[in-house]
Amino acid sequence: MLWVLALFLHVAGIFLLLGAEFLAAVQVIVYAGAILIFYLFVVMLLDLRDEISRPRFGTHWPLAAAVGLCFAAVALLVRTDRLASAGTVPAGGASHQGSLAAIGMALFGPYTLPFEIASLVLLAAIIGAVVLARRTAGS
Amino acid sequence: MIIPIGMVLGLSAVLFGIGVFGFLARRNIILMLISVEVMLNAVNLSLAGFSQYLSDIRGQILALFVIAVAAAEAGVGLGLVIALNRNKPGAAVADLTKLKW
Repeated sequence: MLWVLALFLHVAGIFLLLGAEFLAAVQVIVYAGAILIFYLFVVMLLDLRDEISRPRFGTHWPLAAAVGLCFAAVALLVRTDRLASAGTVPAGGASHQGSLAAIGMALFGPYTLPFEIASLVLLAAIIGAVVLARRTAGS
Repeated sequence: MIIPIGMVLGLSAVLFGIGVFGFLARRNIILMLISVEVMLNAVNLSLAGFSQYLSDIRGQILALFVIAVAAAEAGVGLGLVIALNRNKPGAAVADLTKLKW
């Protein structure tokens, strides 16, 4: 789990380098702060003591490695074919104002409906998680 | 400072491959869900890279929605893990054969 935290923080750093400051902050707060703590709570609650002694990967792991390598290779090939000949970076439209202000204007301007739908998805996930994890009267 | 888009997409592709490998090869259902998070992170990375490359804010907006859906997925997935663990202790996916005919 510690390495997943390292991965999330490094991705946040790359977001900063890409000029997406708000995305980096959301990455640290939501991923490293909320989702990872949630996973750690579940690991703590489940008491998986015998999981340490069992093998880490299934017996089919070479097949899985081949599939993963194929995915990465296809993505790399597509990248070099299409984008190597692309021109220079087009002159920025929204780069003179801050990234945060631009995101806020876009989120509450043309993207209000998807924003509200995302909040609805989160509400449904909260209710679904409570219903799933609730101890029923029969058990 | 401008990072070339090719490097960002290469890192994203490698990260996605690692996520696919982890999802397929892991035996623990919690670590499979973590691998899904790794894949979503790879997609977010390429979205942010395209957003910078095209100087368009929409890539970051889409990455924000992906993060929201990832949070929802983690909540429902871990609720399912807890419900499964109540029926059958342990988190190994090989043991979950109840729905097999």
